[in-house]
Amino acid sequence: MDAFDALMAGFGVAMKPINLMWGFVGVTLGTFIGVLPGVGPALTVAMLLPLTVKLDPTGALIMFAGIYYGAMFGGSTTTILLNTPGESASIATALEGNRMAKAGRAGPALATSAIGSFVAGTIATVLLTLLAPVVVEFALRFGPAEYFSLMVFAFITVSAVLGASTVRGLTSLFLGLFLGLVGIDGQTAQPRFAFGVAELLDGVDVVVLAVGLFAVGEALYVAAYQSRLAGTVEHLQGPVLMSAEDWRRSWPAWLRATAIGFPFGTIPAGGAEIPTFLSYTVEKKLSRHPEDFGRGAIEGVAGPEAANNASATGVLVPLLTLGIPTSATAAILLGAFQNYGLQPGPQLFQAQSDLVWGLIASLYVGNVILLVLNLPLIGIWVRVLSIPKDLLYAGILVFATLGAYSLHQSWVDLLTLYLFGLLGFAMRRWDIPVGPAVIGLILGPLAETQFRRALAISQGDASVFFTQPISATFLAVTAALALGPWALRRWRRR
Amino acid sequence: MRRSAAEIALSTGVLGLGLAVAGVAMTLPSEGGYAGIGPNFFPGVVGAGIIVLGIWLSFEALTGGWRGAPPDNARERGEHAFHAAGFGWVTAGLVLHMALIGWAGFVIAGTALFACVARAFGSRRIARDVSIGLLLSVAVFFFFVRLLDVNLPAGWLQSILGSAGI
Repeated sequence: MDAFDALMAGFGVAMKPINLMWGFVGVTLGTFIGVLPGVGPALTVAMLLPLTVKLDPTGALIMFAGIYYGAMFGGSTTTILLNTPGESASIATALEGNRMAKAGRAGPALATSAIGSFVAGTIATVLLTLLAPVVVEFALRFGPAEYFSLMVFAFITVSAVLGASTVRGLTSLFLGLFLGLVGIDGQTAQPRFAFGVAELLDGVDVVVLAVGLFAVGEALYVAAYQSRLAGTVEHLQGPVLMSAEDWRRSWPAWLRATAIGFPFGTIPAGGAEIPTFLSYTVEKKLSRHPEDFGRGAIEGVAGPEAANNASATGVLVPLLTLGIPTSATAAILLGAFQNYGLQPGPQLFQAQSDLVWGLIASLYVGNVILLVLNLPLIGIWVRVLSIPKDLLYAGILVFATLGAYSLHQSWVDLLTLYLFGLLGFAMRRWDIPVGPAVIGLILGPLAETQFRRALAISQGDASVFFTQPISATFLAVTAALALGPWALRRWRRR
Repeated sequence: MRRSAAEIALSTGVLGLGLAVAGVAMTLPSEGGYAGIGPNFFPGVVGAGIIVLGIWLSFEALTGGWRGAPPDNARERGEHAFHAAGFGWVTAGLVLHMALIGWAGFVIAGTALFACVARAFGSRRIARDVSIGLLLSVAVFFFFVRLLDVNLPAGWLQSILGSAGI
C-alpha cells in the first residue's frame, strides 16, 4: 500500500491550513474568471498564473488545482444560463442545459452539474490515485528514445487525427514547435531566433502565447465580428436543488459519464469534446424519457458535465506521470510546473513525493470545496454573468496585459502579446485549432532534448527509435492513427 | 470553384515563414558532440515541416479552398460584417498601453486600455469607462504591488500611489 501511504502523507500536506486556504482562493478565483463569458479553462489558468509567482511550489500547484476545477464549473454555469459555450467541451451541456434554464429549471440544471462534477471528479481522482503509481512504474523503464516517440504520438494525435482539418492542425502544431525553438538552446547555450532581443532569449512564455491567442485574439474577433453580442442571461428561479425524480435520473448518468470521460482524458484525444458528446448520445439512447431531449432533459446535463470533469481529471494522469500535456490547459499547467524548475514525470513522483501527492490529495479537497462553495454562492456567479460586454472585455484585457508585462517589465512582451492576438484572430477566423500550438510550444523543447539525448546515447545512430520495442510500438501506433483513416478511405473507394 | 484571396495569402505566409525558419537554421552551428546533431537540426526539421505545410495549404487554397474552412461571407457564418472600428479600437488600446506603461505607469496605461476596449465594444460613455478603468487599475496595482510583491511601474502617479513601483 505504498500509494495509500503516500496519499495519506499528501493529505497531510493538502490539509495544512495555508494550503487549504490556497485551495479555497483557487476555486473561488477560478470560478469567478471561468464564469465570464468567452473565458474558457485554458485562459482562466493562464490569466491567473501570475498570481502565484511568490508562492512556494506546493501552495501554488494546489491553488492551480482549485483554479482548474473552478474554471470548469464556472464555464458550466455560463453555458447553462447564457447558452454561449466558452469551449467545445461545453457544447453538449448547452444543448439541454440552456433549454432547462429557459423552462425555468436553471436551479436543478446547475445542481446536477455541480453535484455531478463532484461525483465524477472524486471517482476520477480515485482512479488517478490507483493508476498513477502503475504508470509511473512502467514509465521508469523509459529512456530518451521512448519519451521522444511518446511525444511524437502526442503531437500527431492532438493535431492531425482529430479536428476539422489535418493540415490546419499540423500547421498550428508546427507554429508552436517553431515558437518553442526561440531562445537559448538548453544544451549548447546557442541563442536561436532571438535576433539579439533580450526578452526573446528566455524563450516564448506559455502565458503570453495562451493569453494572446485566447484573450487578445478573442477580443479582436468579437469586436470585429460582434459575434457574441447577442445573448440573454436566463433568470435563476427557485432554489438550486434537485427533486427525487431529478436525482433518480441524474446519478446513473453521472456514473456512466465518468466511465466514458476518464479514459478519454488519459489519452491524447483532443480534450473533453468527444467524451461529452459521447455521453450525451448514450444518455439520449438509454433515457426512459427520450421525448424530453431537446426540451431540457436533466440526463443531458448530468452526463456531459460529469464526463467533462472526469476527463479533466484523466488529463492529469499523463501530465503528472509522464510529463505529457494532452490539452492546452494541461500545457499551461506544465508551464506552471516549469516556472518552479519542476518537470512532471516518474522522477518527480520519487524526488518530490510530498508535492505530487499533496497535489493529488488537494484534488479530493478541491472537489469538496467546489461543492460547498459554489452551490451557496451561485447567486453571485449569476450576477457576474450580467457584466456588460464592453466592460467585460476591457477588464479581461487589463488582466491579460498584466500577466505579460510582469514577466520582464518590458513593453516587448506586450508587443509579442499583441502579435499572438493577431495570430489568434486569424486562427479563429480561418478555423485553425489553437490547442496544438500551445502544446507544441511546451512539448517541443522537451521532445528536442529527448531526441538529442537518445542520439547521444546511441552515438548518433537514429535507428534506436525503431529498434527499442517500446519506442517502436509508440511510433507504429502513431503511424497507424495518422495513416489509418486515409488508407481505410482508399480501400473503401476501391 | 471557391477561391479565397485571404486563404492564398495565409498559405503563402506559412510558406514564407517556413523558408525563413529554414534560412535561419542554416546559419546555426551544427556541432553536436556525441549526438552528431547540433542546435541547427530541430530548426531545420521544423522549417522543412512548415514549408511542406505551406505548400499543402497553398494547394488546398488553389484547388477549391481550404477544406472545411468557414465561408468568407460573414453572414454565412452567422456573424456581422467585419467591423474595422471595433478591431481598430482594441488595437489602439493595446498599442497605447505598451507605449504608456513604461513612463506614464501601470494605472494610466491600464485606464487608457480599458477605455479604448470598452469603446471597441460600442460604449459611448467615456467618463464612465475612464472611471471604472481607473478604479480597476488602482485596485489591481495595489493588490499586486502590496500583497503579491510584484513590481509595477507607478509612473506619473508616483507621488500619489507611493513609492511602491519601480
